[in-house]
Amino acid sequence: MNFLAPLFLLGGLALAGPIIYHLVRRTTRDRTAFSSLMFLQPSPPRLSKRHRLEHILLLILRCAALALLALGFARPFLKQAPIIDPTAAQPTRSVVLVDTSASMRRDGVWAAARARAEEILRRAGPADQVAVYAFDRSATPLVSFEDWNRAAPADRVAFAVGRLAALSPTWAGTHLGNALVTAAEALAENEDGKTAPGPRRVVLVSDLQAGARLDALQAYEWPKGVELIVEAIKARNVTNAGVQFVADGPESTRAADAPVRVRVTNAAESKREQFKLGWTSAPAAGSTAAGDFIGEPIDAYVPPGQSRVFALPVPKAVAGLDRISLRGDDEDFDNTAYVIPPAQQRATLLWIGSDVAEDVKQPLFFLRRAFAETPRVAVQVIASAPAAPLLPADVEAASIIFIADAVSTETASALREQALAGKTLVVAPKSATFGPTLGTLLGRPELALTEARPSNYAMLAEIDFQHPLFAPFADPRFSDFTKIHFWKFRKLDVSGVSGARVIAKFDSGDPALVEVPAGKGRIYVLTSGWQPEESQLAVSSKFVPLMWSLLEQAGGVGSFATQYAVGDKVALPADGTATSVRPPSGAGVALAAKAAEFAATMQPGIYQLDGGAKPLRFAVNLDANESRTAPLAADELEQLGVPVARLKADVAVASENKTLLQGIEAENRQKLWRWFVAATLAVLLIESALAGWTARRPALETQEATP
Amino acid sequence: MSAAPSTPALASAKLIDPQALMSIRSLELRARAVVEGFWSGMHRSPYHGFSVEFTEYRQYTPGDDPRYLDWKVFARSDRYVIKKYEDETNLRVHLLADLSRSMDYGSRGYTKATYAATLAATLGYFIHLQGDAVGLMTFDEKVREYLPARHRVGHLRQLMLALEKPAAGRATDLASPLERITSLIRKRGLVALISDFLAPLDRLERNLLTLSAGGHELTVFHIVDPAELNLGIEAAAVFEDVESARTLYIDPAAARDAYMKKFAAHTEALRAICRKLGASYQQLSTADPLEIALFEFLQQRMRRGRLFRRAGAVGTGGRS
Repeated sequence: MNFLAPLFLLGGLALAGPIIYHLVRRTTRDRTAFSSLMFLQPSPPRLSKRHRLEHILLLILRCAALALLALGFARPFLKQAPIIDPTAAQPTRSVVLVDTSASMRRDGVWAAARARAEEILRRAGPADQVAVYAFDRSATPLVSFEDWNRAAPADRVAFAVGRLAALSPTWAGTHLGNALVTAAEALAENEDGKTAPGPRRVVLVSDLQAGARLDALQAYEWPKGVELIVEAIKARNVTNAGVQFVADGPESTRAADAPVRVRVTNAAESKREQFKLGWTSAPAAGSTAAGDFIGEPIDAYVPPGQSRVFALPVPKAVAGLDRISLRGDDEDFDNTAYVIPPAQQRATLLWIGSDVAEDVKQPLFFLRRAFAETPRVAVQVIASAPAAPLLPADVEAASIIFIADAVSTETASALREQALAGKTLVVAPKSATFGPTLGTLLGRPELALTEARPSNYAMLAEIDFQHPLFAPFADPRFSDFTKIHFWKFRKLDVSGVSGARVIAKFDSGDPALVEVPAGKGRIYVLTSGWQPEESQLAVSSKFVPLMWSLLEQAGGVGSFATQYAVGDKVALPADGTATSVRPPSGAGVALAAKAAEFAATMQPGIYQLDGGAKPLRFAVNLDANESRTAPLAADELEQLGVPVARLKADVAVASENKTLLQGIEAENRQKLWRWFVAATLAVLLIESALAGWTARRPALETQEATP
Repeated sequence: MSAAPSTPALASAKLIDPQALMSIRSLELRARAVVEGFWSGMHRSPYHGFSVEFTEYRQYTPGDDPRYLDWKVFARSDRYVIKKYEDETNLRVHLLADLSRSMDYGSRGYTKATYAATLAATLGYFIHLQGDAVGLMTFDEKVREYLPARHRVGHLRQLMLALEKPAAGRATDLASPLERITSLIRKRGLVALISDFLAPLDRLERNLLTLSAGGHELTVFHIVDPAELNLGIEAAAVFEDVESARTLYIDPAAARDAYMKKFAAHTEALRAICRKLGASYQQLSTADPLEIALFEFLQQRMRRGRLFRRAGAVGTGGRS
């Protein structure tokens, strides 16, 4: 017999009551009159010294009533064979997700995680299906379901453990959301297959740090029937602070030697809040620890769970500063930030035209304003009169050459040579008289320009936003060019020009911007000017981006970023000059021809791109979120719709609950308590009758004795 | 304590068992039975009671009352002689009988009140027979009945009727009857206080002192039930105070020692008060024959009489 509320059985202790009551010599109810109580003290009730229970039958009845009542309240039920749970015996399909992010490098975490993962694998039954995925920024299958099924059932665990043994934590961030989505999809994939519909679960072995990204789960509907079991690994050390370089944006106006701003993030559970921060030298060969501080480190006070930005002065007259280190916490993996000091790019633009420099009606005036100097880029505009001979130095230095007025045929031929050699020419004829020069430049001398005068105004009607020049405007928010009115333009028939690509057309159908490839270079032809006399282009918001776009296309300035996180794809310079990448450690990696990006940023440090005119360096840093090593809030995953079956203890609790539910069900069916209560009442009735009879008997006897 | 007859004379006398005596309904008959039995025993006694008693002759001097001249002596010897004797007929005895509820207890089939009433009746009857005046005051927490000391026809009857009234009061208050009697009796006399004294004794001494100072002679009869002496109840029970109706669970086996100590202390305190005031103290168990009380009373009187004579308080109209 089992009990739903066994605590009520403690009521059985009340049995002591009647026993003691029966042992106590019954306090007589007889009253004895006495002359005075002034010399008497009340006597305490005494236990019978004879240890003789009086009225045994009454005692038994009273005890029985109490015991039956206690049993009834404990809600007894007879255990029956549980109803077979059809899903219980079925093989499970599970995906074991092993976190390999940088935060797993913390002391003891990885070893514990691997041990836990191995334990989970060893628990797998012969019919179970298990896949193992490692994840950091992305999830990669170590053992897929196919691998698992292919292996002999006896070897599966060993096979998976072997794969697991080869795994080590990476330096990448934790994109937990992605990993969970991948795992859930892997479980959902074989739905239509012949596999049994057993329970499906994702087992997550992770340190479950607060910095894990879950955003991928927000737009994902978690498949029904897939539950998540979280095996959280606890770190030995809780104090962890990380340092990140706060990169300035491209529009930043900060001076190059201004203090560098770094952000220090302290984990929420940290025990310490005082750290040292400073520039360090490269570690000694064979050592992983950062080198000594260069110059005086600064004190960084960051309370747990907060992050603060500190301005770290750049020591003067020290070359090759590239890393900032943090000292004073327990974990080293996130204590170094790599920094490439910003440098100003320089470009030269050659303007061939008859403009007076400061004439506000001339195009050059607006061009100079468009290329105003910033701390990051300085563009030098060299103006040259159409009649003046071309200076080779100017031509060599110029990244892009603008031609606005007709030049001599020789000059035009020389410019065409430059274009063929790889320069970019932008032709913006001021009038139809430019025709012969354009013909020479394009290699089609018969080409003619005719002045067009639209009745009212013309506007750009058809723009090829696929073209790199207009790609920045492709967004619908920026793609409206109809506000720009053109009062004058030149008609150009490009049908005969080989390779000519009309990038923009006027509403009359005439080309507005034409790109003509020439050898290694290219020539852009603008059929209208931007000066106010001809159009509103110069005063529109599109002008400056368009000019910069032209300069970038010409290779004058690169938008090459220098700060990346581990795992980011590095966009290589558009000119395709980079041939190899030298990572912080190990041999250089050759790049494929015309490679647009480099993805193997596997470790933090300074990388160098070789092959260009000058080597380009970029820094790869740890994901800033990896420093947030405090555990993730318990309900965060559940809020995102992931049904979390907690740890083993929870599983035990769940099974206990199940047993309890079965108990409640059985008890409800049997309702044995009613019998016990009925029996109690019956016993009490008998007891009352017996007690009444016992009490009456002495009285009767007395009456008989004294008739 | 006189639980048994102590004197040889008394031992040889035929005493009436109180149990038998109390079964006599009439109080007067009971008193008569005791006194007459006692009277018959008295013939063999060397004592003569305190009847008019001759003491000595002395020479007549002019101014003496010629009524007291002994003419027979003059006839024989031709001398005028004055006959001198003690005159005790003017004795006034006041019986103070406690009839409170505590007296309404008895373990022998009759109560202390019955015993006390019988004692009072016996004394009254005896004194009446002697020709002395006897008065009665019954009290509980206040004075119930009062009969002034007289010696006349019918007075004894009234006294018996007053004694036969059942005990009605609840508490025992010794102070107020004593104060009352002090204010009531101006003439000196004998005050016999019959009570169980189951009340605090703190004011008793002062009240008795007032009486004593007023020239009254004091005799205290302390009536106890044999069950009160040794807590003679065997079974544990809820004891109910007959006066206050207060109840206590008492196990006599456990409580007896403490009770007896306290009771003895109380008795001793009472005895000490009596000793201090020169009052005679007599503890009477209700199992004791009443003759003992009467005998002790008389003996006490005789002793005091001798005491007085020795002190030289002599003269006509003198009293003991």
